Amino acid sequence: MKSFIWLETTDGLIQQVEEEVAMFCPMICREVLQTSMGSSKNYAIKLPQRVNPVVLGLILDYCRFHQVAGRSNKERKTFDEKFVRLEANKLCDLISAADSLQLRPLVDLTSCAIARMISGKTAEEIRETFHITDDLTENVEAEEERVEDRSVDDLLLFINSGHEDSKGVKPAKNKKRNRRRKHHPKDPSPNIENKNHYKETDSLSSSHNSEVEDAPNQSINSMLLGYASPESDYDDELDPALKEQLDREVEDFAQRLNSVWSK
Amino acid sequence: MVYSLPEEVLEHVFSFIVSDKDRNVVSLVCKSWYEMERWCRRRIFVGNCYAVSPSIMIRRFPEVRSVELKGKPHFADFNLVPEGWGGYACSWIEEMSKAYPWLEEIRLKRMVVTDESLELISTSFKNFRVLVLSSCEGFSTDGLSAIAANCRNLRVLDLQESEVMDLSGHWLSHFPETFTSIESLNMSCLGSEVSFSALERLVARSPNLKTLRLNRSVPLGKLSTLLHLAPQLVELGTGAYSSGIRSDVYSSLSKAFLGCKEIKGLSGFWDVDLSYLPAFYSVCSRLTTLNLSYATIKSPDITKVISQCPNLQRLWVLDHIEDSGLNALALSCKNLQELRVFPSDMYAADANVTLTEQGLVSVSQGCTKLQSVLYFCHQMSNSALITIAKNRPNLTCFRLCIIEPRTPDYLTHEPLDIGFGAIVKHCKNLNRLSLSGLLTDRVFEYIGVHAKKLDMLSIAFAGDSDLGLHYVLSGCKSLKKLEIRDCPFGDTALLANVAKLATMRSLWMSSCAVSIGACKILSQKMPMLNVEVIDENGTLDSKLDSCLVEKLYVYRTVAGPRSDMPGYIWTMDRDSSSRI
Repeated sequence: MKSFIWLETTDGLIQQVEEEVAMFCPMICREVLQTSMGSSKNYAIKLPQRVNPVVLGLILDYCRFHQVAGRSNKERKTFDEKFVRLEANKLCDLISAADSLQLRPLVDLTSCAIARMISGKTAEEIRETFHITDDLTENVEAEEERVEDRSVDDLLLFINSGHEDSKGVKPAKNKKRNRRRKHHPKDPSPNIENKNHYKETDSLSSSHNSEVEDAPNQSINSMLLGYASPESDYDDELDPALKEQLDREVEDFAQRLNSVWSK
Repeated sequence: MVYSLPEEVLEHVFSFIVSDKDRNVVSLVCKSWYEMERWCRRRIFVGNCYAVSPSIMIRRFPEVRSVELKGKPHFADFNLVPEGWGGYACSWIEEMSKAYPWLEEIRLKRMVVTDESLELISTSFKNFRVLVLSSCEGFSTDGLSAIAANCRNLRVLDLQESEVMDLSGHWLSHFPETFTSIESLNMSCLGSEVSFSALERLVARSPNLKTLRLNRSVPLGKLSTLLHLAPQLVELGTGAYSSGIRSDVYSSLSKAFLGCKEIKGLSGFWDVDLSYLPAFYSVCSRLTTLNLSYATIKSPDITKVISQCPNLQRLWVLDHIEDSGLNALALSCKNLQELRVFPSDMYAADANVTLTEQGLVSVSQGCTKLQSVLYFCHQMSNSALITIAKNRPNLTCFRLCIIEPRTPDYLTHEPLDIGFGAIVKHCKNLNRLSLSGLLTDRVFEYIGVHAKKLDMLSIAFAGDSDLGLHYVLSGCKSLKKLEIRDCPFGDTALLANVAKLATMRSLWMSSCAVSIGACKILSQKMPMLNVEVIDENGTLDSKLDSCLVEKLYVYRTVAGPRSDMPGYIWTMDRDSSSRI
């Protein structure tokens, strides 16, 4: 006679699932063994909040397939590849639920799929895919575009400054960030003092962002105007005659270039 | 609606995102991702050690396990960067020793490392595994002794091309007898003898040793001993490859190579004695990498070797290979991806070797997977370059070094503009290019228009005017590193493209036409750049704005001007131009 385990999702829906399928989930397995729950409708195992009926169905499909012993690695791989062909929202639901059920292989599979979805995209594209609001900078488009245009290897610094100096609206200096400490097995010191990350601004990062414009995207003239503009207050100790000469040369140059460049 | 993920799940997802580019993008998505990403980041690459300070890096990324830093500009390899320039690893290692107790890997390139720093590394990081010192200097075998003695879990010790003060060959003996974890050991740059018995014992007790690069002083007669102890080797660098006339050496060597079924890469080969070459023929069919750049053997002998290596992917060789050897390469090695041909004698105007552009053309024709080329030669033609470009649009790295500056097309006596123009036009994924020969501003126009994926460009003795530099700076969207020597490029182009410099890692200009006045303006306009002027001769008058600077190094940074410069280097300061 087939055995069933009774499961209850947070919306109150109770269903029965084949025992071997349900027991594939470590969390359910533990509940059954430790508390003897799940044997009848009245004693259904209450599943974690993140497991809604739809995603439970998906997870049970996964368990139903994989709990069969005889399958080859190739079969399992093919199933897995098809299984994660889901949209971003479904993947997120799935990974959250699998995580709360402690179904590690499914968490890994879904993590990998989500990572593939992220890789190669721009920040804006990622936000769109996962419906994430950008709370990093005040001046969303211009700021990001400039920051993302920059190369990245030693550019962590620019990302640092990119969001710290949001257009004159500095994050409140006393806004404490609880430094979330991930419990790392190799972590030697579990007690960390609160550090206010955003409070520490680099002195150099404060003003440059607004001045950086990506050269190739600009017309020559506007760049040159930028260079030769009267607003620069650093020119004091420069020989004015030389500066004027340089300005003129540059203007000449720009004109020559424009005529050459217009092909 | 937000598809939210619990923190530990997000962390797990991020562990699958490995490329630096993706990780940086991830940190720009939103605050919680920024926070999570910085906690999860395990590997950092800093392409210019002065672009950021150790404390900034540490503050942002508290849980790093692997750090890679680069110091001196690339032109240091050509002795253009003066002694004492900088690139000191000291402060980095000191700060990391306090902040990253779990650091496992340090990779440094073109940096100055002291014995004190090596000792600090050896005692600060309990799980230290990988030390790569590439083209570094400033340390001695004493520092290596400390590493050997204290790093219980060391997997990789790679000193490639570093300058090491060889005080004693006994540093190897400092590896304790209980130490068995080494997987890769590269000591090919060391000058003096190492204690062979210590080496032998080390190899004998290291079952995971896959890469072993010996230095020149390890005699050929002892090589077979080592090979018998390590038949699992994948990469081997021999010592001197000669041994007088000893038939027993030959036969034992040959037998030892027969026993090494895993060898895929060979290097070393100093002082080659031809009679010993066939000893390693048994591994040729499996070879994917062969570095013969120290072997002064002639073309027929080189040809005999490479025609037995059908799986060769990477070949480094001297120009002794000549066109005939390259023709053979084109026929035999269909999987070749990278070719480097080094000059045997830079100064002989009429070299004895018959290496011309034809050799490269053959290889470009026969080796369809060829992606990366470094080629030193004496003559080139536009038609050859055009042929190469059309043959190999999949080239990603093309470095041509025609030895005599400003050499024109030897057939037409024209500049090589259209030849290089063809290269950038056809090779759409080209990310690295070195120019040589007679070149006018036109070549730069082609580069600016076509080389959209170019990451690094090296220019010497080329161009007519500022227009050349302007084309490059305004056209090459992806350009990150630009190094220029002896070109008539000056203020106008530089100042017309200041914004571009902030998107690049660095710019080097030496013996060009940049004035100190322009450097001042540049520095004032772009506070996020360090504009460093090098004046070794002491002839620069900083008050005379029209005075030309000898060498200029400009790079973006958030660490401000550096304080470790010698007296002849100044950082142009926003407020004044006094020496710092």
